[in-house]
Amino acid sequence: MGVVRSAITTAEQQHRVYKAFDWIVIPIVVLVIIGAFHIHFMLTAGDWDFWIDWKDRRWWVTITPITLIFFPAALHYLFWQHFRLPFGATLCCAGLLAGEWVSRVVNFVGWAYYPLNMVVPAEIIPMALVLDSVLLISRSFLVTGVIGSMIWGLIFYPANWAIIAPYHVPVEYNGNMMSIADLMGYSYVRTGTPEYIRIIEEGTLRTFGESVVPVSAFFAGFISVFAYFIWVGIGKALAKTIWVKKL
Amino acid sequence: MGEPTEITDVDVSKGLVGAKRIAIIFFVVLATMVAWRVYQQVFAWEKGLDSFEAEFDVYWMNLLYTQWILEFTAAAVVWGYLIKTRDKDVFNITPQEELQRHFTLIAWLFAYVWIVYWAASFFAEQDASWHQVTVRDTDFTPSHIVLFYGVMPCYILAGVGSFLYARTRLPQFAKRLSIPFVIAVLGPFMILPNVGLNEWGHTFWFMEELFAAPIHWGFVVLGWTALALGGLFLQIIPRMVQLTQLEEELTEDMND
Repeated sequence: MGVVRSAITTAEQQHRVYKAFDWIVIPIVVLVIIGAFHIHFMLTAGDWDFWIDWKDRRWWVTITPITLIFFPAALHYLFWQHFRLPFGATLCCAGLLAGEWVSRVVNFVGWAYYPLNMVVPAEIIPMALVLDSVLLISRSFLVTGVIGSMIWGLIFYPANWAIIAPYHVPVEYNGNMMSIADLMGYSYVRTGTPEYIRIIEEGTLRTFGESVVPVSAFFAGFISVFAYFIWVGIGKALAKTIWVKKL
Repeated sequence: MGEPTEITDVDVSKGLVGAKRIAIIFFVVLATMVAWRVYQQVFAWEKGLDSFEAEFDVYWMNLLYTQWILEFTAAAVVWGYLIKTRDKDVFNITPQEELQRHFTLIAWLFAYVWIVYWAASFFAEQDASWHQVTVRDTDFTPSHIVLFYGVMPCYILAGVGSFLYARTRLPQFAKRLSIPFVIAVLGPFMILPNVGLNEWGHTFWFMEELFAAPIHWGFVVLGWTALALGGLFLQIIPRMVQLTQLEEELTEDMND
């Protein structure tokens, strides 16, 4: 087709076209991230995120950071490599939280009638801010992957501590010790979640009492490092501009 | 035919987004989704708990059949219209026309992702809440009917529509296939057929309702493909830069 002729003639028109493009592309990016990231997250770590009595010291702390880093890493590649925009992780996590909160309030509370403090989602913004900041400061996927992802895993539980601590106060209920969270799970009946499929820490003979959260968080950070690099690669693969004549 | 159209002096830069067009898409989709949600609120608890009752047939199975008829009709009409009215002289359009059509494509993509939000985020997680208040006695629960057979076909309609629009109206997409575009439309499309795997698994093994169960991971992998929209925009943007270049280097303060 040779040289492409321009559709405009003045700088003012160019400016207007660019602004128009910006204003329509932003909602598109936000909406697709909410949709795609939410379905990924709810079907990999959703059960721990839905219920206050699944937010334990071992599984929740391990699984959430690992599966949560997939999309932030992919968007780090797309946004940073192509546009030098340093907010891929924060956009992902804020979008996920927006989608979760709408659904929890309108569906879990408004339709299924669970109390909101039973179905409150995990807090994930602090991790995202750190991951983005490390990328912005280091300007390196390698440094972000190794250091940022480790911090990402380590600060997940502390970030949520203030929210879940009130539910870990013990109560004596019919002669048994339960946490408030356990009691809520016991009281508000879930037909699809009998007690035996609740995947939470139950203790082992090789566990040494107080070290559960630190060990889990450290392990989550370690696996997040690998997940980060894999997902930067997947982000790169999906951002490839391939054209073919026919399939 | 064959003669390149003359460049006119019309200023195409105004109203490119089509605020009215976007507003219509936004509110039509919103109204449809709210209607589904209100219907559920009113009839799920009253008529949707026991699928063996006659009223379940009336209120829920009839909704399902109505949706199927409407969706197949809409897909045939919309996709058929886009193909029937294709631009047969697509390589000879003016740059102005091409720029405007790019923004129409972007409006299609907006419709697509706006429905994807409702399907993949809102109604998908809603299904988790319904699984916790019933022990299902059918694959066609009030939440499944709306999610799998109502909302998901809607975004497939818009997604394939956007692909067909580009294929038939834009020179860049008419002469070759964009792989990221194919992935971004076909992957989420395959979420619907993946219901086959999902219901097969749930029907023959009682999986309880662990939402993170491996039987659900097919949806996850197909959801990832939406990230290919990034690749699509990386194909659209350079073309739009070409269409909006200026003869001489002019700089203008863009920070407002």
